[in-house]
Amino acid sequence: MTSSLLLSITTFIYLLCTVLYVAAVVFRYRPLLFAGTMTALGGFIIQTAGIILRWKESYDMGYGHAPLSNMYESLVFGAWSIIAIYLVFEWRSRQRALGFVPAGMAFIAMAYASFATGMDAKIQPLVPALKSNWLIAHVITCFLGYAAFAVSFGLSMLYLLRKDVKDNPGHGALAFLPNARQLDSINYQMIVFGFLWLSVGIITGSVWANSAWGTYWSWDPKETWSLITWFIYAALLHARTMKGWQGPRVAWLSMIGFACVLFTYFGVNYLLSGLHSYGR
Amino acid sequence: MANEKEKGSSANILDWLASLKLTLFVFFSLAAASTIGTLLPQGAELEESGFSPGTISLIQSLGLNNLYHSSWFRMLLMLLCVNLLVCTIDRLPKTIKLLRRQEDQFDSNKLSKFGTSAVMATRMSAEEVRPLVQNAVAETFGQLKDLGSSARFCGVLEKGRWSRLMVYGVHASVILVVLGALLGSIVGYKGFMNIPEGEASDEVELTVGAHNHLTLPFQVKCDKFEVSFYDTGAPKEFKSDLTIIDNGKEVVKQPIVVNDPLSYNGVTFYQSSYGATLKHVELEIKDSNSGKTEKVTTSLQQTVSIPGTDDQIRISEFQDNLMGFGPALGVVISKPAKPANGSWVLAQKPDFHGNKILNYQIKVKNISKANYTGLQVSRDPGVWVVYMGFTLMLLGIMLTFYSSHNKVWACIEPNENGNRTIVAVAGRSSRNAPAFNDKFDELRDRLNSVLKAEPIKLEQTKPEKAKAEKARPEKAKAEKTKPGKTKEEKKKK
Ligand code: HEM
Repeated sequence: MTSSLLLSITTFIYLLCTVLYVAAVVFRYRPLLFAGTMTALGGFIIQTAGIILRWKESYDMGYGHAPLSNMYESLVFGAWSIIAIYLVFEWRSRQRALGFVPAGMAFIAMAYASFATGMDAKIQPLVPALKSNWLIAHVITCFLGYAAFAVSFGLSMLYLLRKDVKDNPGHGALAFLPNARQLDSINYQMIVFGFLWLSVGIITGSVWANSAWGTYWSWDPKETWSLITWFIYAALLHARTMKGWQGPRVAWLSMIGFACVLFTYFGVNYLLSGLHSYGR
Repeated sequence: MANEKEKGSSANILDWLASLKLTLFVFFSLAAASTIGTLLPQGAELEESGFSPGTISLIQSLGLNNLYHSSWFRMLLMLLCVNLLVCTIDRLPKTIKLLRRQEDQFDSNKLSKFGTSAVMATRMSAEEVRPLVQNAVAETFGQLKDLGSSARFCGVLEKGRWSRLMVYGVHASVILVVLGALLGSIVGYKGFMNIPEGEASDEVELTVGAHNHLTLPFQVKCDKFEVSFYDTGAPKEFKSDLTIIDNGKEVVKQPIVVNDPLSYNGVTFYQSSYGATLKHVELEIKDSNSGKTEKVTTSLQQTVSIPGTDDQIRISEFQDNLMGFGPALGVVISKPAKPANGSWVLAQKPDFHGNKILNYQIKVKNISKANYTGLQVSRDPGVWVVYMGFTLMLLGIMLTFYSSHNKVWACIEPNENGNRTIVAVAGRSSRNAPAFNDKFDELRDRLNSVLKAEPIKLEQTKPEKAKAEKARPEKAKAEKTKPGKTKEEKKKK
């Protein structure tokens, strides 16, 4: 059993999970939601095992580092975070009908990690700059934030679709979902959670940079983009709390925020240069 | 009149400075400006960017090539701070006053108007009802405080007042971070030094401002520099053994690697790069005019005459591995009263055409190199202020979002004909309404059962609805989906 086998299995489980959740909503058949949850949980456990095994394998190869060091590994961890956050959310809120959003995103992340051209799935040694315990703290916290924003992005899209649909059951799949007001409130909780972790992520990155280079902020493109993202969500929180922006405007801002997350993550690696372009 | 008008306009400016509109404007402007900064080449990259000279001078005149340090970007940051300070001065006293306020008397009618409330009637007497209500509230939220009214029982319970102040912590943290950064930029510096193995130096090349040097009050010696590699060929670790020599005495001896620097007297040395430098080199110079061959020994940046001529030779640069061709010397030859001529001379390729400068054919006979370690040097006394800001920010955000100021009111009074006792409870939470409403529903269910209550119709039935939704979220009854402001938000405005 190797970690890459486990992670491949995970990819297909998340696909199955997405299909189950979507089918549940389309056919408005509740038992399928339960099946979706169980599949997500199963995939999550296998993926966790895969990540741990990969960690161990890197020690066996003599490199010895947490599996958070390149694009492949961070995508896998991103998928893991999305499912983790969603499962906790589902358990606490007993809202199941939204499962297809995170499941779909986790599947896309895993599939992209596995099949994108130029993606190197090999375990590589760490360059000296990345050898720090701050790496683990920084990547985990950033990804908790990104994952929450990813879920919020999905919820925002749903919100925009859902807001014009009446609640009564005659109205098809969308009416099966939580109503617009609930979506708005769930979305806000996700954003708050994401904002907290993005802040922790930026701060741990900054402390790390200071311990490695003596500068806690150097306006490197990745840093700058994470700050742009942070400003967007800070604006969203203020607008919502103090100016009573709710509903569509918050949904749009959240989607813009997530576009910034994506650019921070992919755009900076592929289009701009800087300290963080480890993903190449 | 004039005076009044003036007052009006300065109040307007203050209002504007305290406004959330300005906050949003600044947030979006900072985001947009930062975006431009990541898309346009910054600093020295601009000259190599391939933009037309006109574009380059436009970029320069707007400060876009050094955007994050330009005065207008700093102004935006300052505007954020001023906005924050004015807003705080405006709001903090009001918040404190609100938190200090004594509870007014209330009756069931007033409580029923709350967004989260329940009113019920029971046949029990007020005296019987009172301990039951107190117990039910105690089991869900906590102990009610008796407000001591004679006509009816009024009790109130309040928790987490401090929660409302936490956001001020977040805002203070932003100011702290900015202050720390300011302090660092005023009294701190950043630079680098390259120290060859076995040598000591106190010269720091500063990063800001070209050719800016700084002399440390002590010396840093590089005893040894090592690089290790993985079997893939990728570098594994850079390590320098450093010694600090202060007043001629060796005071600190410590190896450093990337991510593990050395600090001495507030100055920190980070392993950042390495390279090879030329110690000395022996050249064979053949004059193709006279056919004579001469030997010279020289080192970097040293000018020597070519024996038997008036010409001079100088090694201006050294590269350990020039584009994969091995060691290369940048050699400059100058003849009296003529412009100097230079070229790269490849040490391992004696036949390379560049090895001929003017009438001289140059061969590198013997080369002795030394490794140098590249150290990043920084002194930043503001970093602790920034870190305090970071800590406060995280604590503040956590407490702002995950604590709340909750209040529960209860009122027991006889109804008009005196045959029933009316029990009214209401609650309000500053945050996370769903969780609070869940608990409130629990309280209402409890009260309904212990009081054997008969529901009474009042216009407010919101909690009932919330409950129905919770039980069957996907099948919740149709209701207005247009999100409106909650009471809380309306009140704040
Ligand atoms: C980078 C800067 C800032 C950060 C990180 C920040 C952070 C926050 C956070 C996390 C909240 C709570 C939001 C919520 O309840 O959903 C908040 C609320 C608020 N912020 Fe800021 N803020 C910043 C700048 C500003 C500025 C410049 C102003 C100027 C007017 C401002 C005014 C407010 C106000 C009035 C509230 C609501 C406070 C309340 O609920 O009583 N903030 N801020």
